[in-house]
Amino acid sequence: MTIPIDWTVAGPATIVLVGALVALMVDAFYPRRTWLGSGLPATVAGVVATAELVRGDATGTPFAFSLVVLVGTLFVVVASNVMNFENAMPPGEYHFLLMSAAAGALLMVGARDVVTLVVALELLSLPSIALVGLRQGDRDAIRAAWTFFLVSVVSTAVTLMGVSLLYGVTGTLDYALLGRALVDPAVPDGVVSVAVVMTVVGLLFKLGAVPFHLWVPDAYGGASVMVAGFLSAVSKAASLGALLVLLSVALPAAQDDWQPVVAVVAALTMTVGNVGALRQDDAIGLLAWSSVAQAGFLVAPAAVVSSSYALPAAAQYVAVYALANLVAFAALAVVLRLRGSTRLDDLRGMARNDPWMGVPLVMAALTLAGFPPAVIGLVTKFVVIRPVVDGDHVWLAIIMGVNVMLGLAYYLRLVVTLCERPVGEPYVSPSPPISVRFAKSTVLIGAAALVVLSAWPDLLLSHLP
Amino acid sequence: MIVAALAVPFVVGLLLVLGRRFVSGRAAAWIGVAATTVSLVLVAAVWEGREGVSGEVDVAWIEPVGARLHLGLTAVSWPFALMTAFIAVLCCLWLVADDTSPALVGLVLVIGASALGVFGSLDALLLFVFFELALVPMWFVIAWWSDADRDVAHRAATRFLLFTVTGSALLLVGIVVAAVEGGSLELTALRPTAVAIVLITLGFAVKTPVVPLHTWLPDAHSSAPTVGSVLLASVFLKLGTYGLIVFVLPSDHLGVVAPYLAVAGSVGIVWSALACYAQDDLKRLIAYSSIGHMGFVVLAISTRSEAGLAAAVFGSVAHGVITGLLFFAAGSMKDRYGTTSMAGIGRGLYGRAPWLAATFVLAAVASLGLPGLAGFWGEVLSLRAAYDVGSVLTRPVAWTALGLALVGIALTTAYVVRAVRLLAQGEPSALEADRDLGRREVVVMGALVAVVVVLGLVPQLLLDLYGPVYVGVAR
Repeated sequence: MTIPIDWTVAGPATIVLVGALVALMVDAFYPRRTWLGSGLPATVAGVVATAELVRGDATGTPFAFSLVVLVGTLFVVVASNVMNFENAMPPGEYHFLLMSAAAGALLMVGARDVVTLVVALELLSLPSIALVGLRQGDRDAIRAAWTFFLVSVVSTAVTLMGVSLLYGVTGTLDYALLGRALVDPAVPDGVVSVAVVMTVVGLLFKLGAVPFHLWVPDAYGGASVMVAGFLSAVSKAASLGALLVLLSVALPAAQDDWQPVVAVVAALTMTVGNVGALRQDDAIGLLAWSSVAQAGFLVAPAAVVSSSYALPAAAQYVAVYALANLVAFAALAVVLRLRGSTRLDDLRGMARNDPWMGVPLVMAALTLAGFPPAVIGLVTKFVVIRPVVDGDHVWLAIIMGVNVMLGLAYYLRLVVTLCERPVGEPYVSPSPPISVRFAKSTVLIGAAALVVLSAWPDLLLSHLP
Repeated sequence: MIVAALAVPFVVGLLLVLGRRFVSGRAAAWIGVAATTVSLVLVAAVWEGREGVSGEVDVAWIEPVGARLHLGLTAVSWPFALMTAFIAVLCCLWLVADDTSPALVGLVLVIGASALGVFGSLDALLLFVFFELALVPMWFVIAWWSDADRDVAHRAATRFLLFTVTGSALLLVGIVVAAVEGGSLELTALRPTAVAIVLITLGFAVKTPVVPLHTWLPDAHSSAPTVGSVLLASVFLKLGTYGLIVFVLPSDHLGVVAPYLAVAGSVGIVWSALACYAQDDLKRLIAYSSIGHMGFVVLAISTRSEAGLAAAVFGSVAHGVITGLLFFAAGSMKDRYGTTSMAGIGRGLYGRAPWLAATFVLAAVASLGLPGLAGFWGEVLSLRAAYDVGSVLTRPVAWTALGLALVGIALTTAYVVRAVRLLAQGEPSALEADRDLGRREVVVMGALVAVVVVLGLVPQLLLDLYGPVYVGVAR
């Protein structure tokens, strides 16, 4: 028996996995446990995999989502240098787990049958859980990892249940064959409805959609800041990509079953996330809840995946969202390292007394809010609402509009706090390691990319699917 | 040219905000005057006639969305743009003083440029970007340079921002719906459906504001510094009326919202007049009176007639100059007496500061619609349009609105006369701070007085843009 391997999909993932193993080896045999030692192979693997992806002939949605995953991972790897010489974090394990999770994310986007999807989902989930709890001697981290683990196990179980039901009624697990089998009127409708909804649940969990959102604030708050950034950007992009492909290729025949569910979940997710974010006093908590809300915006085009606008819209939205979120998390990671706190009160006036970190944070918040001068954020809001209207879900579009407003309320609060006149001199760590500069440079590059995209949004919108 | 008219104040404004440490307030204000004057001259010079689009610039922008960088001025938008540029010049002139903060001048320039961008955009998405761009700078102007208590100003600014962004979120959805249906974002090609029209109307109604969505306005206008109040009243409210004129008025589905607009507009006239009668604070009084004037404009829009269009544009521009003048006058009093409470300022300004009093009274009677001054024509054309019923309203609705508006006019006269009596007339109770207009104030207010009088005596200057039909009314 031969197993066909599509190297367009498997190539970048394999390179990333090799990078993970090399990172682990380097760390094992190179006794000075610095971040550069194991970070270098991880970085190289990220760059090579990206090059391989761009060189290869992948197109459309998988290409866009893989690109977001790879660039996001690369960003996280470089920005993680901010943790250099933090004794609690073991760099070798960190890079190994991070790259393994990234490989899982890549496979998830490329999956074309349900078993691959579930395996990839686990390959993404398990290292992520370990990453959350990796910080030694940190009780919060352990607790966060436990919550994450339990929710993850439950949702995987539900998904497996759904998958087995699907296999039971159709006799196949291949996306394309499933799509054809479900059209058959002999397939019992009731079972299909249950199976489809259960299958989708696992992916909604990874996206942090309501009602599976409660692990998000916990995990983001307990994990290291850059791990939270990874979860919010890379993991989310991969889950969304997998969800879109699953819905559009395998399950279009069962559209009537999942469409209302997904639409309602999207509406609830953005509302609950925004309301949660309104009450936060800590910038990381605020970003955690806001990324719950953003998950709602990400899921919304999935509800109307039959619209020709839907797939590009989701890809473009997730790209901008991931970039802005990573910039914000990286900036906060630097702030946490240098000042020891990310409470809003301690960030007051940062755009004035620390413009190199404060202004990118402002730009990221404005992009997430979809507010000029971050035109790209506004344009992607437009782009993501368009398929929803095109798919005749005007009610959902209106809820999205209201949520844009709710989001503005707290993003602008963050912006105003950052721009305010500072009270007193902030505490700044006297001797930050030089590698913090690497993290700073990623923040600046990311913010510069946001500025360029705002000046010319076509750059992204015309070139991503 | 139109690009330069936007870019010059915008870039200069940004530079002033960034380089606020390297320039004195007075110098910054003069730089601002120069930039806005350039912008004003360019806007005026770009005019090519009422047929078609003047100074059109059309460049591809975001292909996949169908958005273009499409700028140009039409017979509708040119008066708005001209008025905005003019007010921006005066705001900068007003700031020529030693205690001015350079950053404030910069923000004023950015706000003015953004508003010009709204009036100059022929693409819905571009218009929306400019529409939002001015909001955050305005928040800072209200919250940081307010004369009021810091917390009060913060709350007023935040409420202003939240109301406006709620409106603009609905507006965004409305634009998306219209764009999906019409297949284009060109303002001229936009074909909003009934749902889209409701959303867009709500969005602009918050900004205009239409009763009962006006509750953000009095606090914001009265907390803002003088130039902030002027910009809010003269320019920001016009973003709302302009939006209604270009998005809602030409739509086939105007009938869905027109009765509500007509009734809400005329109720607003009465309501605001009653509220004004109870005010002691001069700035709050002016703020409430704005709601009434916007009521006339909204009523005119809801009729969709040629007279209605002319009334809406004329009413908006006239309100811009008159209310600008009123707020500048109130600002002068604030500078002198440290308060805008009419009881605090005291009576008999005719005797204490004659030119200031005369200017204030002229603005006040212009505001009530005295024939021969600018306020008259907008109101009379609006009433005429309501009397003629127009193409979408029914006669009972139109005439009910007309009746309410007439009651409102009577009430307006009452509160204006009250304010004039309380401030200008009576036995002078001299205060130490009494001082007549300074040079800077004479220039700013003189320019506005001239415009108010010229527009009042020669309304054809503006009305001729809209064809001969109702110029007959004006003659």
